[in-house]
Amino acid sequence: MRDVWIADAVAITPFGESRRQLWQALLAGKSAIKPVWRFPVKNYHAGIASCIEDLASSGDRSMGHVLLQRLLQQLDPVSQDALLITATTKSGIDNLEKVCRGYPANIQDIMLSAIYEELHNDLNLKQHGINISASCASSTIAIAQGAAMIASSWTDAVLVCCMDLVTEFVFSGFSALQALSATPCRPFDRDRSGLSMGEGAAAVLLMSKERAKQEARPHLATILGWGAANDAGHITAPDKDGSGLQQAIIQAMAAAKCNAFDIAAISAHGTGTLYNDQMELKVFNHIFADHPLPIYSIKGAIGHTLGAAGGIETVVGIQTLLEKTAPPTIGFSNPEKGAEGRVLSEPVDISGNCLLATNSGFGGINAAIILGEGSVS
Amino acid sequence: MNAVITGSGWVTPLTMGYVRNNNRFEMGAGKLPEITRKDVFEEPRPHFGRLDRYSRLGVSAIAFALKDAQLHRWTRKRPIGIIASTVHGCLETDIEYFNATMTDGGRLASPNLFAYTLPNSFLGEAAIFFGLTGTSFVINEPSPSGIWCLRMALIGIANGQFEKLVCGMCDLGRLPFSCESEETPGGALFFVIEKTPTRQHLVYGDLYLDNNGILRFDDDEIKSLPILAEKCLKAFSKRG
Repeated sequence: MRDVWIADAVAITPFGESRRQLWQALLAGKSAIKPVWRFPVKNYHAGIASCIEDLASSGDRSMGHVLLQRLLQQLDPVSQDALLITATTKSGIDNLEKVCRGYPANIQDIMLSAIYEELHNDLNLKQHGINISASCASSTIAIAQGAAMIASSWTDAVLVCCMDLVTEFVFSGFSALQALSATPCRPFDRDRSGLSMGEGAAAVLLMSKERAKQEARPHLATILGWGAANDAGHITAPDKDGSGLQQAIIQAMAAAKCNAFDIAAISAHGTGTLYNDQMELKVFNHIFADHPLPIYSIKGAIGHTLGAAGGIETVVGIQTLLEKTAPPTIGFSNPEKGAEGRVLSEPVDISGNCLLATNSGFGGINAAIILGEGSVS
Repeated sequence: MNAVITGSGWVTPLTMGYVRNNNRFEMGAGKLPEITRKDVFEEPRPHFGRLDRYSRLGVSAIAFALKDAQLHRWTRKRPIGIIASTVHGCLETDIEYFNATMTDGGRLASPNLFAYTLPNSFLGEAAIFFGLTGTSFVINEPSPSGIWCLRMALIGIANGQFEKLVCGMCDLGRLPFSCESEETPGGALFFVIEKTPTRQHLVYGDLYLDNNGILRFDDDEIKSLPILAEKCLKAFSKRG
């Protein structure tokens, strides 16, 4: 199996269009969760989300099209032989809302493959790839699959791009499930009351070590291992014992050939819902029982970006390892049982070279990747 | 990268069933059948009737494929994965959900229907029905051939992600609005793929992926999943 390097990583979030802006906002304890102006919210359980303030649809195109164009502007040039894997849960679903309301809309933007096709054409890539959809673990699984393709020598370079939007479609659904918090979400806090939605996009360029060196690309991080498993228990709720997440982490650690003490910090899914956070803490406290490593969630800062969450969290994970600092969990102050001393409201120094990042989603899916520290200053 | 095929099941506008049941396979155009629980399961499955049409189609074809591979009965959950290729996914359910949601300014949003507005929800249902705890995800590929899901399956097997998985395609066909130059055929077709032929008597043939992305089944190049299903039927009938 070959080493898989991350050679470029960008994220577009409400905090800006660079990795540095996102990182500085996280360290400063900022939250982008604010009142929603994009659609009427009076009939929903919450009225807040983390939206990119100047993001709007252009003509009959989806907001996703605009977001992807911004993402492309941040990317370093990509070789034409790179394979593209995109990840999204709902693609340009804002255009379906327009269709249902009788407004003009580009129907192609609604399709799940829309972001793949747009990026594939704009980047003028020669190889065909795919879009992956695995609910809130979509981009984590996309990164894992891309890494698997490179590790097994099937291809040398994979560009993973992910995107999801705050739309009334998704907002109404989470409201109906009573999963939205009326106040900004508070991951792992005893007083948490649900999630806050967010939107964003990210791109992660994976390369074999040899190819990255050949192209003189920076070594931002290494994908050391990955795993994924299904709870096979409930369609919207996580397994209370976290059997799927536990299995995903064990697989990732085995692939990375590392043990619990090699992990310096955990980038958790940490949505702020009662069941997710409880399940995650149970699993982390079981696997890392004797290892008091920091656990953080960035969803108190940028909300839950659905299929883009894993991609954006990977970008933050790279910075965590490069800066040897775990960012604070915004909104966290009163620890849920099991979070004491592990989840922190302030940035904390970390020692070690590996980071575990996890995501879980509807359909019972759980995914984990282990990042190794890069070698750039 | 290679593996073996031990099962295949389908639901199309013209036929439903699986290879070892000697069912006819034909994709064809037309309306998909209304699938009932009795078409698919011998035992009561009260939840089946509550699934949206897309999930019912996908779960049924997966059920037939598992039955064909004699993996449909279980007492303990198993690390079997699922990869499904789709073009439209759950778009029909999306439209139904959002039209209902708009009726009263969002007050009527249905949490039950919302749960099926993800293209991978039916994989979760199949995982629950059959105790499948392996990796599961949906892919969308540029053409509706389903070939990429076989590629992902073989790459995953080579990497140790899967020992066994169910892999195939699922689409409801015609959309309520037109946006394609080529219509996506309706139907679901799944295969059971295994890393090692421990159950040799069930093997239809060898699946192989080369470094150029070419897929072969017993040396014949495979360009779509329906062609692979026909090859499995032929292999079964040859064996008698």
